[in-house]
Amino acid sequence: MSEDLKYSSAFKELQEIVSEIESGEISVDELSEKVKKAAQLIKFCKTKLTSTEEDVNNILKELSSSSTSIDEPFG
Amino acid sequence: MSEVINDKKVFTLEEVGLSIKKTLTDRYTSSFWVKAEMNKLNHYSSFGHCYPDLVQRNNGKVIAEMKAILWKTDYTRIQEKFLQVLKEPLKDGIQILFCAKIVFEPEHGIRLRIFEIDPSYSLGELELEKQATINRLKAEGLFNKNKLLKLPFLPKRIAVISVQSSKGYNDFLQKIEPNPWGYRLFHMLFPSLLQGDRAVTEIIGQLNRIKRVIHHFDAVAIIRGGGGNIGLSCYNHYALCKELAVFPLPVLTGIGHATNETVAEMVSHKNCITPTDLADFLLQKYHNVSVPLQELEKKLTARSDLLLKETKTSLANAGKYFQSITKNSLLDANNSIVNKSNIVRMQSRHILKIQSNACAAQENDLVKTANFLLKMNHRNIENTLPILKKEVLLNINASRNCVNQLTGNLYKDSRIIFIKLQPELLFLNNKMDSSIKTTFLQIDKEIKSIEYRVHLGDPINLLKRGYTITLVNNKALKSSKEVNEGDTLTTVTADGKVTSIVTIKQNI
Repeated sequence: MSEDLKYSSAFKELQEIVSEIESGEISVDELSEKVKKAAQLIKFCKTKLTSTEEDVNNILKELSSSSTSIDEPFG
Repeated sequence: MSEVINDKKVFTLEEVGLSIKKTLTDRYTSSFWVKAEMNKLNHYSSFGHCYPDLVQRNNGKVIAEMKAILWKTDYTRIQEKFLQVLKEPLKDGIQILFCAKIVFEPEHGIRLRIFEIDPSYSLGELELEKQATINRLKAEGLFNKNKLLKLPFLPKRIAVISVQSSKGYNDFLQKIEPNPWGYRLFHMLFPSLLQGDRAVTEIIGQLNRIKRVIHHFDAVAIIRGGGGNIGLSCYNHYALCKELAVFPLPVLTGIGHATNETVAEMVSHKNCITPTDLADFLLQKYHNVSVPLQELEKKLTARSDLLLKETKTSLANAGKYFQSITKNSLLDANNSIVNKSNIVRMQSRHILKIQSNACAAQENDLVKTANFLLKMNHRNIENTLPILKKEVLLNINASRNCVNQLTGNLYKDSRIIFIKLQPELLFLNNKMDSSIKTTFLQIDKEIKSIEYRVHLGDPINLLKRGYTITLVNNKALKSSKEVNEGDTLTTVTADGKVTSIVTIKQNI
């Protein structure tokens, strides 16, 4: 859920920047900063779509290390 | 036949069995319909016969139990009908309605030989069982529990319960990996049987494994496919459905069949029906994120470009405007300078002309006045000059005459006096020697008397008579030698003085 929040807030911030630029509220001076920030946010959001930090082997390791756990009724 | 041992009539076991068999065969001549639970089918695939265990339970407690026998030919026929009607094989645990006959073999005991099993009864029973599961889950408030979980905005970590080699799992994999959009979906297989009675326990087992590493996952997907529509009653099983309903992660199902929805699918967070649809569902979640993102990116680019273009244009316009304004104002300034300088030039010229005119007029006036004055002066001088000349000449003549007269008189008088006095003087001289002292005194007296007479004979009296005294350098002029031409002469009369300049000097 915290990942979701990070994504949502990034997306929301991106939306805000775009609507700011769309509404023409932004000056050319600010534009460069905003576009830079927006590019970072887009990159962050895209990374969420195209990458994963999970690793099957790590999860398997975790499973085997806790195999003696009592909440494993079926082996 | 019986024999007697120790006075006892003894039968063999077979004799007993055969007797029972005879009794039963006589008593139970026809077949009859029985309903019971197929506790165990006990199908021996090696020779194809089944030896089912049948039970009747009351509140879970077995109150009747009987062995049965289902010969290979009957089993094959019945099985076909079951698969057709029930979409389920004959299996353990189902309620059946069967037609049987009581058979007794001494070596096997009493058994029910099954000729026929009515699949529609079992179907109804399965439906009842399914309904019971639904009702129970609802009664326990669990039915919607999984649906109420929130699927993450982007479910990208999926625990897959499936069979490695199954068609459904491969369909799923093909769809998501690789996908043309470059979406990366993390998935991990938790292998399990997906149909038949063992599926219930195996799936529950894998769910428990997933629970232990639950923080690595966003959702669970149950993916089955290629197994046809057979053996799905496990998905109506209360134990499995309850596990799915209460599972802490959203459960997605892609069980892949065309019959009525199973309870497992009902309680799952989302029933995608087929594995392919399940993959599409997940990809759609990615699209839902990606598409607005792309739109925002497009908008951002377009808007930024537009803004830059607009700014550039307005800058260029401002530049042009500035240039033209500057040019205009320079022109204006230039024109006004030219105009002003023209005005100044004209005005200066005008003022110069006026002043020049005034100067000329004044000059004329001055010249005129000066000329007039000069003329006047000249005339005055011219007028005065002859008068002066005349007067001077008159004066000079008068003076000369007087002087001449006086000189002549003086000379004559002096000579007369001298001649007169000469003898006296001689006498006196002689006398003087002798009587100088008396004479001296006498002279003194005479001087005094003369003085008196002189006083009486003050020149003024002479002047009054018309004599004048001519002074030069405040000394009486006694000789013409004492003056030079140009000297100033003062002629003293009895009542004034006349000043004149010597123009002509003549010595007598």
